[in-house]
Amino acid sequence: MGKYVVRRVVAMIPVLLWISVISFGIMHLAPGKPTDAATQFNPRVSLEARERLAHLYGLDQPLHRQYASWLGRIARLDFGRSFLDDRPVMDKIAERLPITLLINVLTLAVVLGIGIPLGVLAAVRPQGWFDRTTTVLVFLGYSIPSFWLALLGMAWFGVALHWLPVSGLHSLDAEWWSWWPRLTDTAWHLILPVGVSAVVSVAGLSRYARSSMIEVLQQDYIRTARAKGLPERRVLFHHGLRNGLLPILTILGLSLPDLIGGSVIAETIFSIPGMGRLFYEAVMARDYPVIMALVTIGAILTLLGNLLADLAYAWADPRIRVGKAS
Amino acid sequence: MSKFTWAAVLILAALAVIAVAAPWIAPYDPMAVSLPEALLPPSPLHWLGTDQLGRDVLSRLMWGSRISLTIGLTAVGVAVLVGVAVGLVAGFAGGWSDAVLMRLVDTLLSIPTIFLLLAVIAMDPAERITALTTVPVLGPLVRGLISWADVRIVMLMVIIGLMSWMGVARLVRAEVLSLKEREFVLAARVAGASPWRVMTKHLLPNAMAPVLVSATLGVGGAILTESVLSYLGLGVQPPTPSWGNILNEGRVALGVAWWLTLSPGLCIVATVLAFNLVGEGLRTMHRRGQAAGGDAL
Repeated sequence: MGKYVVRRVVAMIPVLLWISVISFGIMHLAPGKPTDAATQFNPRVSLEARERLAHLYGLDQPLHRQYASWLGRIARLDFGRSFLDDRPVMDKIAERLPITLLINVLTLAVVLGIGIPLGVLAAVRPQGWFDRTTTVLVFLGYSIPSFWLALLGMAWFGVALHWLPVSGLHSLDAEWWSWWPRLTDTAWHLILPVGVSAVVSVAGLSRYARSSMIEVLQQDYIRTARAKGLPERRVLFHHGLRNGLLPILTILGLSLPDLIGGSVIAETIFSIPGMGRLFYEAVMARDYPVIMALVTIGAILTLLGNLLADLAYAWADPRIRVGKAS
Repeated sequence: MSKFTWAAVLILAALAVIAVAAPWIAPYDPMAVSLPEALLPPSPLHWLGTDQLGRDVLSRLMWGSRISLTIGLTAVGVAVLVGVAVGLVAGFAGGWSDAVLMRLVDTLLSIPTIFLLLAVIAMDPAERITALTTVPVLGPLVRGLISWADVRIVMLMVIIGLMSWMGVARLVRAEVLSLKEREFVLAARVAGASPWRVMTKHLLPNAMAPVLVSATLGVGGAILTESVLSYLGLGVQPPTPSWGNILNEGRVALGVAWWLTLSPGLCIVATVLAFNLVGEGLRTMHRRGQAAGGDAL
């Protein structure tokens, strides 16, 4: 197992290098200089002051030097300071990461809690009424823009019915409440964003759970289990689901970029101060250090997620690590 | 084909007719501002109501279908072009070029797509797109597009395309890897065919069926992407109507004018659903063809 972990971590290095090259390349697509925002519309800024600013940010260096120094800094997780308010980028991200992680973990829980049972039930009788219904719903789920669903949810449950709050994470005066009402208040605010973000992933995951279960249920050991007279429930959940869930681990790893990316839309629409909204604000303000830090961190989080999923797979299924070691 | 697939084909055909005929069948000028008629609910005069500036929503949706469809189709065209090229080279050449290209694919897949898209768009690369006209294969395509549509819209097509070729590349590579050991390919190589000829005449035509399936599914995805970007205000810019930016304008009036949010959303869902169903139908046909032993489709 130890060797397998090491090999997987080493395999991440070329991908990390590509990430840094892509991030750096994107950054240099921009016309003009990032310092323009601070100087362009100020008639009292002299040319000399402008150059001093460019020098301060290292923008007068040749490209490969800038890349090298940038790489050196991000290796130490130093993403510089925001052009917007001069605060260290890591501080800005650190205060928003927990919110996004909270939403994504909750979303993941909802996705697993709904997607897997849906897929398993559909797999029990392929082409049965339940399977056909979920197939239609899955296609709808794939085709609905999540931001539109969010808008409809706000219009119905928020504006028309007044059931759910439509923006933010807390009610206005929540700061002065005790912890329990504050917790339920936050949970209340999270229902719409989490629900909306979950829809697309539920569609995808239930499909994978279905096809994986269909395959498992055709195996010999399932026939054996049935033949020795086990109750169907035990066959499905003990013998079937355990094996059927293995490929789901990989799918979970692969769906991470969507989860992290989906937060941009959900957080922007519901005005939740997480990483996604920070990213959107940075894009609108051309706050390059923040944009680049978030692209890089988003990619690294995804890679770590994939790694965890693969390790979990290898831990659960010895065939993987033995097979690859030979 | 199932009845779902037929319904989807019909929807797409109707949509194509609407998009082509929009200038003649749209009841009003999609840009004509008429403030006294602002935010009217659906009525016999304005079937789908009007927006904040009194513009007819139905006419704007009809014109918007042109934008959404062209962006969807062209973006996928770019993605297929790049994906096929990368997949062919990686699969056929193998070795180092395969390793480098496939790590690039892994990397692009590990960065959340919306992050990549927004980051690129934030850099406002419209002028860089003009520079693309000198690139060998892509160049003529981009030049043609620019002569025909607004440069910012071309930029969207190219960027969405450049962010979604990775799936096609993996697919083509996998096909090439299995095809290149088949007898007819070996025979062609033994007969002295150049690598270029083997790739374009022998490998590519046989790898195209799954690419067609994934391209059809990709159109739906590209239309969704365009609508998200336009909704965020970073895609098609007003006053040019696109389904996404009509939704964006409707957001402000969400509480009072539901028709501004409902109708463009339904257009997107119907279109994307139709492309997904047709793609799925093609996939089933392809699988059956393979099971029957032929290369049907």
